[in-house]
Formats: sequence, C-alpha cells, structure tokens
Amino acid sequence: MKEITCRLLVIGAGPGGYVCAVRAGQLGIDTVIVEAGRPGGACLNVGCIPSKALIHAADEYTRAVHLSAGKSRLGITAAKPSLELAKTMAWKDGIVGRLTNGVVALLKKAQVKYVQGRARFLDGKTVEVDTEMGRQVIRAEVIVIATGSTPVELADLPFGGRVISSTEALALKEVPKKLVVVGAGYIGLELGTAFAKLGASVTIVEALSRILPLYDAELVRPVEKRLDTLGVRIITGARVKGLAKADAVAITSTDGKSSTLAADKILVTVGRKPMTDGFGLDAIDLDMDGRAIRVDDKCRTSMRGIYAIGDVTGEPMLAHRASAQGVMVAELVAGEKRAFDRVAIPGVCFTDPEIVSVGLSPEAAKAAGIDVKTGIFPLSANGRAMTLEREDGFVRVVARADNHLVVGIQAVGANLSEMSAAFALALEMGARLEDIAATVHAHPTQSEGFMEAAQRALGAAIHI
Amino acid sequence: MASYDLIVIGTGPGGYVCAIRAAQLGLKTAVVEKRATHGGTCLNVGCIPSKALLHASELYEEASHSFARMGIGIGIGKPKLDLAAMLKFKDEGVDGNVKGVDFLLKKNKVDSHRGTGRITAPGHVEVTAEDGIVTTLDTKAIVIATGSDVARLRGIDIDEKRIVSSTGALALDKVPGKLLVVGAGVIGLELGSVWRRLGSQVTVVEFFDRIVPGIDLDVAKNFQRILAKQGMVFKLASKVTAIDTSGKILKASVEPAAGGTAETIEADVALIAIGRVPYTDGLGLDAVGVKLDDKRRIVTDAHFATNAPGIYAIGDVIAGPMLAHKAEDEGVAVAEIIAGKAGHVNYDVIPNVVYTYPELASVGRTEEDLKAAGTAYNVGKFPFTANGRAKVNMTTDGFVKVLADAKTDRVLGVHILGPDAGNMIAEAAVAMEFGASSEDIARTCHAHPTLTEAVKEAALAVEKRAIHM
Ligand SMILES: Cc1cc2nc3c(=O)[nH]c(=O)nc-3n(C[C@H](O)[C@H](O)[C@H](O)COP(=O)(O)OP(=O)(O)OC[C@H]3O[C@@H](n4cnc5c(N)ncnc54)[C@H](O)[C@@H]3O)c2cc1C
Ligand SMILES: Cc1cc2nc3c(=O)[nH]c(=O)nc-3n(C[C@H](O)[C@H](O)[C@H](O)COP(=O)(O)OP(=O)(O)OC[C@H]3O[C@@H](n4cnc5c(N)ncnc54)[C@H](O)[C@@H]3O)c2cc1C
Repeated sequence: MKEITCRLLVIGAGPGGYVCAVRAGQLGIDTVIVEAGRPGGACLNVGCIPSKALIHAADEYTRAVHLSAGKSRLGITAAKPSLELAKTMAWKDGIVGRLTNGVVALLKKAQVKYVQGRARFLDGKTVEVDTEMGRQVIRAEVIVIATGSTPVELADLPFGGRVISSTEALALKEVPKKLVVVGAGYIGLELGTAFAKLGASVTIVEALSRILPLYDAELVRPVEKRLDTLGVRIITGARVKGLAKADAVAITSTDGKSSTLAADKILVTVGRKPMTDGFGLDAIDLDMDGRAIRVDDKCRTSMRGIYAIGDVTGEPMLAHRASAQGVMVAELVAGEKRAFDRVAIPGVCFTDPEIVSVGLSPEAAKAAGIDVKTGIFPLSANGRAMTLEREDGFVRVVARADNHLVVGIQAVGANLSEMSAAFALALEMGARLEDIAATVHAHPTQSEGFMEAAQRALGAAIHI
Repeated sequence: MASYDLIVIGTGPGGYVCAIRAAQLGLKTAVVEKRATHGGTCLNVGCIPSKALLHASELYEEASHSFARMGIGIGIGKPKLDLAAMLKFKDEGVDGNVKGVDFLLKKNKVDSHRGTGRITAPGHVEVTAEDGIVTTLDTKAIVIATGSDVARLRGIDIDEKRIVSSTGALALDKVPGKLLVVGAGVIGLELGSVWRRLGSQVTVVEFFDRIVPGIDLDVAKNFQRILAKQGMVFKLASKVTAIDTSGKILKASVEPAAGGTAETIEADVALIAIGRVPYTDGLGLDAVGVKLDDKRRIVTDAHFATNAPGIYAIGDVIAGPMLAHKAEDEGVAVAEIIAGKAGHVNYDVIPNVVYTYPELASVGRTEEDLKAAGTAYNVGKFPFTANGRAKVNMTTDGFVKVLADAKTDRVLGVHILGPDAGNMIAEAAVAMEFGASSEDIARTCHAHPTLTEAVKEAALAVEKRAIHM
C-alpha cells in the first residue's frame, strides 16, 4: 500500500487521542489517527460512559424498588419492578454506539484521516499499521502516543472464567448472585455499588486499611454509610490469595487469618497500567517514569517530535486530563505557546453519594507546608438537599490561612459531580474565600453549600 | 421598653439572613414576623414547597413512563399516587426548613417578636400580636423586609380552592382534570409542570407573545417547544378577562391581547400566576414618609437606605429581580453596612433558575439586552444531545449558550436549558464575578463525564472551536 505522509500522527483514539486529532484538524494541521480497537478508547467503550450508564440504570431500578416497597414518603407506590440486565446492556451499547460513531463523524468533519489497525513504531518518524487491507506505513513529522491503559492483573488471580475486569463487568448479561470485588478504588466501588443496587450480594476486599484510599476519611464516610445501607460487605486489610474452589476466593487478613468468600463473579479492579507493550516502543527507547512514559509540562517525551498524552503518561488517569493534554499538544504543534499548568484537574468518583475533589485536601496542604483554614458546610442544612431527599454529605473549602487563597475544594453528596466545574473554575481563577462567599448562588440549589462553606471558613456562614 | 441596634421587619430569606449576619457582627438584633412561622414566602409557600413537589412529581412521572428502555420493567399499569402523602412530604420539608430558621435565629441570639410590625417613627416599631396586644420597640436602625404578595387580576377573586394563587396550587387536595394557568412566568410553569406530571391537562395563557419574559428569547422558544412536547398547551398573546364560577366547571374568557373576540376555556382549577407585587400594607410608611416608586416598591439608594433616616429596605419589597438569593445577599450587605462595614451586591451577576424539566438557568445578559445596548457579541452554543452524561441519563433536551463580548471575549451572559442547570449556573456566576473570558471557561478542565462539559464546549464554540460538535 502507498505510504501516507502527514504532519501529525496520533496513535490511539481515546479521549486523549481523538480530541488531539480533532483540535489539530481545526487548526489546519494535516492529521492521521490510528486506532486498533474502537474509536473512543477505554472511556467511551469500556470506561466512563458505559459505567455511568449502568450506574444510572441501577439508580433508577433502586428508585423503582423503593417505590414498590412502599417506603417512599412521596406518596407514590408502584408494582414490583423486574430487571432484564441483557436489555439494560443493549440500551447501554446503543449509547456507546452513538457516541463512537459520533467520534468518527467529528474526526471526518475536522478532516482527520482515520486508519483502523494496530500501530507499531519502526523509528521515531515512522509507524506501520496492520490494516484489513494489508500493511500501511505512515510517516509523520510529529507523533502523539495516546495508547491509554489496561487493567492490572493479579498474578494469583488471572483474568478468565469467573475472574473478570471492569470491561467484562460492563457486559454481563445477568446480575451475579454473589459478586466479590477485589480492590476498593473508584472503579471497583462504582461498579460494586451499581451491582449491589441491581440485586447482587456484594463483598469488597481491599488490601489497605480503608476504602477509596486516595480520598481522606472524612470524604469517604458518607459513601461507607450508604454502602452499609445497601448491604455491601467491606473487608479491609485483606489480600486475595487466589481461587479457593471453583466458586470461591481465598483471602488472608493482615493478622494471617485465612478464609474463603463464595463468588459467582470476581471483579478485579486493582488499578490500570499504561499501555506500552506491543507497539515497538523499544525501537525508540523513550525515557520512562515507572511504567508510564515520562513527559514534561508540554507532554514532550525524551525524543524530539514525539509527544505522549493521557493514561500512558501515568496518574491521574482521567479522561478529561487526557483531553486537555490532547488539545494542548495540538496547539503546540500548530505553533501556539502552551504548557500544562492546570491548577485544577477535578476528580469525580461516581459512587453514591458522589465525591468530587479539586486541588489540595487539608492534609495535602499541611504536608506541603501550607497553613490552612477549612470551612465545611453539611448538606443537611441545605434546603434543596432536603427537597431532593438527599441530605447526606458536605462541601469543604480549603484556603491559605494568611491570604485566604483557595487551594482545594472537596465535596461529597448526591449529584455533586455537576459542581465540579464551579470548583475547578474557582481554583483556576485564583479565587479567595471572599470571592466565593460574595458570589450570589441561586436558591434553592446544592451549590449554595459551596458559598456557605467559604462563608463558614470566614466565620460568617448563615445557615449553620 | 426593649431597645435594639437593629429591628428587621419580615423574616423571609432577606430578613432572617440580615438578622443573623447583623447578630454575627455584634449588633443587638430583633425580628418581627406576622406569620406563625419564620422563613417568609420562600420557605412557607414559595421556593421550598414548590421544589419539594417538583421533585416528587418528577419521580412519579418517571415511574409512570416505563423504564423499559433501560431494561427495567414495572409490574402492571401505572404507579399509584397518594396525593395527601405527597403533600405531607412537602409540608415536612417546609417544617424542617422553618424550624431550621428558628434554631438559627435563637443560636445567634436574635429576639423574635410575633405580630404585625408598624413603623410609628424612625427608631420606633410597634408590634401588634394576633390577640391584639401591642408592644413598642426602640431601635437605632430598621430594615424593612416585608417581601411581596400575589398580583391579582381585576375582577377575578382568588378563593384558593378553585381559583388559586401559587399558595393554593401548592395544596390542592385533588389532581385537577383540567388546570388553567394564567401567566407563563417561572411560577406558572413550575406549578403547571407539577400538576401536568401528576395527571392534569394544563393550558397556559400568556399576555405576551412569548413565555418567561425577560429570559433570552431563543432559549425561551426552545423551552416552550420542549414543554409543549411534554403536553403543556400554550395560548400566547392572549388575556384572561373573566372567569365564570357559577357552574361546576370554571369558564374562563380568553381574548387576544390586542383585543378581539373572546373564546371560552374550561377548567377545574385556575392558577393566577401573573407576578408578585411588593407588600407594604400596614407598615405605616405614609406616616414616616418613606417613598415608593410607581410600582409601589420602596425606593432605596445604593446602600439600601430609604429617604427616612435609619430605615432601610431589602428583598422583594425593593427594585430588582424577586429572588430569594437576591434578598439574602441584600440582607447580608445591609447588615454589614449598618455595622459600619462595606456591604455590596453585584446586580450584574444574579443567577436565575426555573426548576422545571429541563431546568432553565441564566446569569447576566440576554441577546436582546446586548442588542438593545449596541454591544457587539459572539455566541457559543452546545446541545446536550452531544454530551455523554446527558445521553446515559436520558436527559438530552436543551443546550448551553455563552454570550461573550466580541472585542474583549469577556463573558456577558450564560444561559443553560438542561438537566441540573441550577447547579451548573454557579460556575458561570463565579466566572462572571471574576470578569472571565470565554477562553477562561474553555481552558478550565471540566470533569468527564459530567453535564458541565457542555458549558466548556459552549465556551469553546464562542471561537468556533468546540470539539464535540
Ligand atoms: C470502568 C472505568 C470507568 C472509568 N470512569 C471514568 C470516569 O468516570 N471519569 C474519568 O475521567 N475517567 C474514567 N475512567 C478512565 C478513563 O477511561 C481513561 O482515563 C481514559 O480513557 C484515558 O484516555 P486515553 O486517551 O489516554 O486512553 P484510552 O481511552 O485507553 O484510549 C487508548 C486507545 O488507544 C488504542 N491503542 C492502544 N495501542 C494502540 C496501538 N498500538 N495502535 C493503535 N491503537 C492503539 C486503544 O485501542 C484505545 O482505544 C474510567 C475507566 C474505566 C476502566
Ligand atoms: C411559588 C413560588 C416559588 C418560588 N420559587 C423561587 C425559587 O425557586 N428561587 C428563588 O430565588 N425565589 C423563588 N420565589 C421567590 C422568593 O420566594 C422571594 O423572592 C423571596 O421569598 C423574597 O424574600 P423576602 O425576604 O424579600 O420576602 P418574603 O419571603 O416574602 O418574606 C416577607 C415576610 O415578611 C412578613 N411581613 C410582611 N409584612 C409584615 C409586617 N408588617 N410585619 C411583620 N411581618 C411582615 C411576611 O409575613 C413574610 O413572612 C418563589 C416564590 C413563589 C411564590
């Protein structure tokens, strides 16, 4: 096949890669993108979107169950709902299909050439792709590696059979009766919660002493409480040894005690690792940072003309970080001056309630030697939360004690993910407590909790 | 005779917030309230009960439209509604909130006087309790926060049974078969939505040739289309001139706004929601010479001072949008001014939310405002149909619209028609308080997958560089 030459080649069409390519196309850069699987990457196909679809369906189902059990204070009763998970999955697949087709359309509109197949580096300027029609060589002045990440496998509990990763969990045709989730990070908890709501009996096993170890205990407490109400069993400080019988896992606790847990499915969510295998990275010998490709604040790798973005560059492995890096690299290639100096990359955990975190937690700020003031406002004192029947959770603002510059904002509560943008923007604009306290927030909304948390840090909260 | 630094008349969101802030600042403060409970219109018969019913009716509608697409089947037939229980849920919400205000006032050591307040002279307030007992109070400063009352239609009596104001519409004991809503403003559309979801056939009659006057026209048109799709019927550029109550069914005469032949619309209940008017009855303003404007609002200067010494006014009773958070912010500002600090409210950045489905939230200028002012501007729009979270939540109605100055790129207005718009508008308000450009919003990392990504994309669209469109 005829060689393709282009200015920019992007490897991988996840939220890092396709966004980079679309932006480059908008800027008039002659761009090619290669994708081995389906456009949209982990995020659209087996990550953010399908998981949030399943979470939404699980929430709706719980509501219906709640209404049928006659527990609703709202005066609504309904007959007992039934669930057909295969249909739920078909619905989810429909959405995923629309979004991935959308990505193809966006690439086309931006005049980006899409090549289907696995790319392999031949050298720093050349890549070969095995396409359906044969071997395709692509030469590019600039190459962006956006190959993403894959689930980490446990040596003692390899994937296969009952042992599944998030990808298989998002394609189950039946709700497992007994589900054991290994690893209490956000992916395990999001999916574990959804399946518990859909009727599975769920046990979560975590090696560390608490769940969601990336978030502080105060933030996680409302989630723990809700898991308890949902009947989810949590075992911390325990390691999984392997399959016991065909239908159970063996675990050992820190004090050496062994036991087994019956399981129809075992979902292993112990993290994701950068995807650096099988595409000839050794041919170009880039500097690494552990398992990730090392990049600077412009996402440049150690080789001129090669950039890396997204999960392949390590933590935080988040779709919006990948996209933001993608836009930046496209603009750099177009000759604009850019650097990745984000003060705020919001992290959202779509558990129940949801956790949002932007910037520094009180501990992180203290560890960084910053003397801070914090203000917490509980949603139990928020009118909107009461009318929505969800008073659990709070908003917390962390600011420098000396000049009140806000350095972090965290919140936990139903539906608070949509507050993440206001938090991020406040940090990016260099807001002080006074700025947030003095911004008029609409009544009655949960966002008033943000304003009141800032007011409380200033000793002037009204509703508490 | 009790003597105070500050007496606040009326304990709606303006008044009680003002009193708490004043007490925090060390002023000896009292409130006077004629209603049995604190919290004013907002907590008793406004924001809170309406949002409780909006939430409950939304769940009811959701349960009645089968969840089939998501693979959730619901037994046979529709869910059942126990309206009395639903109203009780609402009343409990109100009760929790007003008790909260009681608690906060006590906690901040604010004295409560129950009864109707009358200003006999600057520094003197007379409180007449329900049993007729009169107490006289002395004070250095007075803040009038007496709020607003339902605007009435000439010749139409509100009996709160068949012809109701928003107050009656929050407590109907039966779902009306046919509901006539007079006025397509926020309150009419919110309560119209509640009853439509619970089973009423709703017709909305509006004098202007558009709904939600004051909202960006393009947004309002799309909003109307979505509401109509849900089954609400609109009769625009029309006026209700009379309602015949003699029969079992109400018969409303509806004429074109410009005049012409009347037609009759039948209804079981008619909701009069043509607006609210400032409430100053019985305050004795004539006696102290406090000036009112042509709309009977109390005239104040930029520091909330009336023309009478030591008398201030805030909230619905003065000029500006009749919104709880506007009243609250004025309450804080006036307390700070009276305590000798610099209080201030930025009227350019007051968000406004309609809690229908989809929600409609806006802050800043509309396209019409900008055209009228001759400001050159750019528009960035992004639809929720292209947003992943909206897709998985099956809430893809609506869009985000960002208006930015054509020369400086400063954000001048943000309008969101969509799910959860009320929470999302906070970001826009913070941005505008900082004088942000559309580029500032566009370059802020927005979490995926959230609805807020649509705000970012709309900001990107201002410079025609949205990614997902
Ligand atoms: C269950 C789950 C839930 C998640 N939820 C969220 C969430 O709510 N919010 C959030 O921000 N993040 C979430 N994430 C993480 C998010 O999916 C990733 O951060 C994001 O997808 C990273 O984007 P990327 O472009 O770097 O890589 P990816 O999305 O992984 O895309 C990489 C693409 O490169 C392709 N590729 C790899 N090698 C080659 C090659 N040699 N040639 C051609 N193509 C190749 C792959 O096929 C893939 O399509 C979730 C992840 C999972 C698993
Ligand atoms: C159905 C409905 C829904 C609404 N929804 C929203 C919403 O979602 N968001 C929003 O921002 N706004 C909403 N509003 C508007 C909001 O309720 C008002 O803007 C707000 O209550 C104004 O506050 P205020 O303190 O100025 O006056 P009010 O809340 O009206 O309080 C005034 C108080 O003063 C008392 N009073 C009056 N005269 C005297 C006297 N002489 N002596 C003693 N006491 C006196 C009254 O009894 C009353 O309690 C809604 C209104 C209605 C009717």
